[in-house]
Amino acid sequence: MIDTRIDPAFFTQLTNQLEESDSLCSWDEFKLAWKGLNLQTTPEFDGLLSLTQLPHINFLEHQVDACEKVVHEMSGRAILADEVGLGKTLEAGLILKEYMIRGMAKKILILTPASLVNQWTQELSEKFYIQAASPRKKHADWKNWDITVTSIDMAKRENHKQEILSIDYDLIIIDEAHKLKNHQTKNYQFVQQLKKTYCLLLTATPIQNHLSDLFNLVSILKPGYLGDLSTFKKKYKNTHLGAADTQEHIHSLLSKLMIRNLRKDTGLDSSKRHVKNITLKFNKEEQEVYDELDAIKKDYPSFTWLTLTKELCSSREACYMSLQNMHKKQPSDLLKHLIDRLGELPQHTKAMKMAELIQQSDEKFIVFTEYRASQFYLQWYLQQKGISSVPFNGKFNKSKRDWMKQLFKTKAQVMIATEAGAEGINLQFCNNIINYDLPWNPMRLEQRIGRIHRFGQTKDVNVFNFAIENTMEDQIMKLLYEKIQLFQNAVGDLDAILEKIPGGNFETHVQKILQESESQGEIDIKMKNLVSYVEYNVKERKESS
Amino acid sequence: MKQNVYYDFTKEFFTINGCLIEEKNAKHMKVLLTRQMDESLMNRPFYWHYMKKMNREGDPMSLSFKDISIGEEEEGIYLHAGTPKLQQIYQTALEKGYITRLYESINHPTHNLAMHPWLILNMKITFRGKQSKDKILSIGLNLINGAITHNMMELLEHIKLIQKISDYTFPMTPMIKLESAYNRIIQHVETYLTTLDTDWAEQSIQQFNYEKQLLQKFFHSDDIGEEQYQKELDQLAIRYKPRVTIKIANGGLFYLSVHTSQNLLT
Repeated sequence: MIDTRIDPAFFTQLTNQLEESDSLCSWDEFKLAWKGLNLQTTPEFDGLLSLTQLPHINFLEHQVDACEKVVHEMSGRAILADEVGLGKTLEAGLILKEYMIRGMAKKILILTPASLVNQWTQELSEKFYIQAASPRKKHADWKNWDITVTSIDMAKRENHKQEILSIDYDLIIIDEAHKLKNHQTKNYQFVQQLKKTYCLLLTATPIQNHLSDLFNLVSILKPGYLGDLSTFKKKYKNTHLGAADTQEHIHSLLSKLMIRNLRKDTGLDSSKRHVKNITLKFNKEEQEVYDELDAIKKDYPSFTWLTLTKELCSSREACYMSLQNMHKKQPSDLLKHLIDRLGELPQHTKAMKMAELIQQSDEKFIVFTEYRASQFYLQWYLQQKGISSVPFNGKFNKSKRDWMKQLFKTKAQVMIATEAGAEGINLQFCNNIINYDLPWNPMRLEQRIGRIHRFGQTKDVNVFNFAIENTMEDQIMKLLYEKIQLFQNAVGDLDAILEKIPGGNFETHVQKILQESESQGEIDIKMKNLVSYVEYNVKERKESS
Repeated sequence: MKQNVYYDFTKEFFTINGCLIEEKNAKHMKVLLTRQMDESLMNRPFYWHYMKKMNREGDPMSLSFKDISIGEEEEGIYLHAGTPKLQQIYQTALEKGYITRLYESINHPTHNLAMHPWLILNMKITFRGKQSKDKILSIGLNLINGAITHNMMELLEHIKLIQKISDYTFPMTPMIKLESAYNRIIQHVETYLTTLDTDWAEQSIQQFNYEKQLLQKFFHSDDIGEEQYQKELDQLAIRYKPRVTIKIANGGLFYLSVHTSQNLLT
């Protein structure tokens, strides 16, 4: 019944070496080898050896449980779906270590967004004593590297793809796996073709819009586990994603495949959040330009007006860039006039407030803005005020990112980041965040805050949200962030709710409302409806739990 | 106070390999490596290559180790189950202690003593299915009478064995050839394996069949192609199919007195 194999190398060696006496070892050496062998064995099926090998790290209970479950119950194919900041990477590292110690994984591939490659290699080495390689521009040795960390984009390039697909990997880890929800994308198909024994998918948001997202993720791990796609779709076509029994059903379906720890269950709430919403008034000149932008509505779609006003709420520079581009494509007197008017504006109201806040404190601040132009402006402005700052964005290469993080940690008081840089940098040494402008999707705000409010943060976290009165920003803040009480809430519930509003997720709804409404009044009503829907669901969830 | 087995092992390793050890207390040691140890453990082949080429001696480095109970005040590598250097030390210990021929040391026997040859194999058996574990065995076979004994290393632990045959003793010519002795031990182990608990294998097969069934249904629904199906099937087999691998870690020929040989069997 059980296939038995014997490593044949020994016997040949034995006969050869017995003939050459000088290659033979002493009794002490022989005994020592035996002792070494004893210390290296894994005598039990159950338990975690990785814990005894990593005594310098205090793993949290939920992380240990996750590892135990994945290795011993789920047979190494699982979705790790803890909320942001609960240490999914640590869980994945622990599982990886366990498989390596048990001799079940040797050839390992880790796919992460490009911005996280360095962090992964560093953590594996420092925390897990695992040395991983990552390909540089020309140098990649997929066949000989046992443990490789790289991005999907790099891996699926023509010159690497075939070689990677030909390798039998023992374990593949995919970070930020929600990006694989669509089975028609090249990335998805590439991942599906990989040869892998064990596989971990890491994501904080396993269900984004549709149940079929989940179906696709599961199909990477255990094809057929949820049946076939058409039956699955038929079965769940009319089920309301928000309904409690559907939730329960889905969770029980996935209990053998997915680990999901929530912040509120793990007692990680010791560091608190203090949220301060700061509403500012445009100065006279800014208000005038803002009003003048109304003229745009005549010749351009309402979306353009929306973009420009949103930009003006951030900085002159951001707005100027767009107007300049429009002017280049299609010159007009109106655009020329607006550009000139922008040039006359004084320092931005928000920038001044920001500098004031920072100057009152000796602590470090991370400032998030949506626009590159604002980022440049703010850096310049802080410099004028004698405040040291470093920029951060997604276009930086690995070494520059690390360098900036290092500078921020050791020298600069402020880091100014754009959204693209938010994913995956960990800045627990900083406990103040300024949302210089607000994203329309609360989950993205959560991602930002998660950079500093995460495992390892010892102080309370201060969140400052800026908005200009009587603008779209003000509305977003009042409606989204004050009413829903986003910040104090268990985000795990909220993300599920926001992603599962009938007819698209939250962000698309907001965009639609803003684009399709004809008057301010209409916007107000529609936004209120949307928010009440979310509010209702949050309450319902709270009561039922 | 629990003894740190890793500390003790490391100390023994360097002692046996002729390194000078300075021990401040029982929890901290500084090891001056020999050139050979430096080459095996310090990962600097270019340095030694260069030294050889230049015909120079070279300076072996030293390494400090400490027990995990010692804090930062002492320099050194913490010794615990996961210390990376330790993995390298295990590897070196196994390479250096791979094959041997040893004789029981006998002090001035009154008459000529016959020594029985034994083949001893130390092996690691890995059971793998849904989960995995190892078992180590130390088995000896008497090449005169074919007797087989388990736990050889334990039984021989306090017996003095040396690499040269003692005066007034003589090795007997094996009745059983080395190759057939080797095969007999393997056969014996295979039989022994069938007497062990097989629950783990049954559970693995159950899981294997269950997931295979799911996959087949999925395949019939045309959601995946033939090639993908085959690949998934192979991966299922790697994940669940129960199997056992036997790897011989070290072994050799041992000449033991008739007296000792008989004691081993009782």
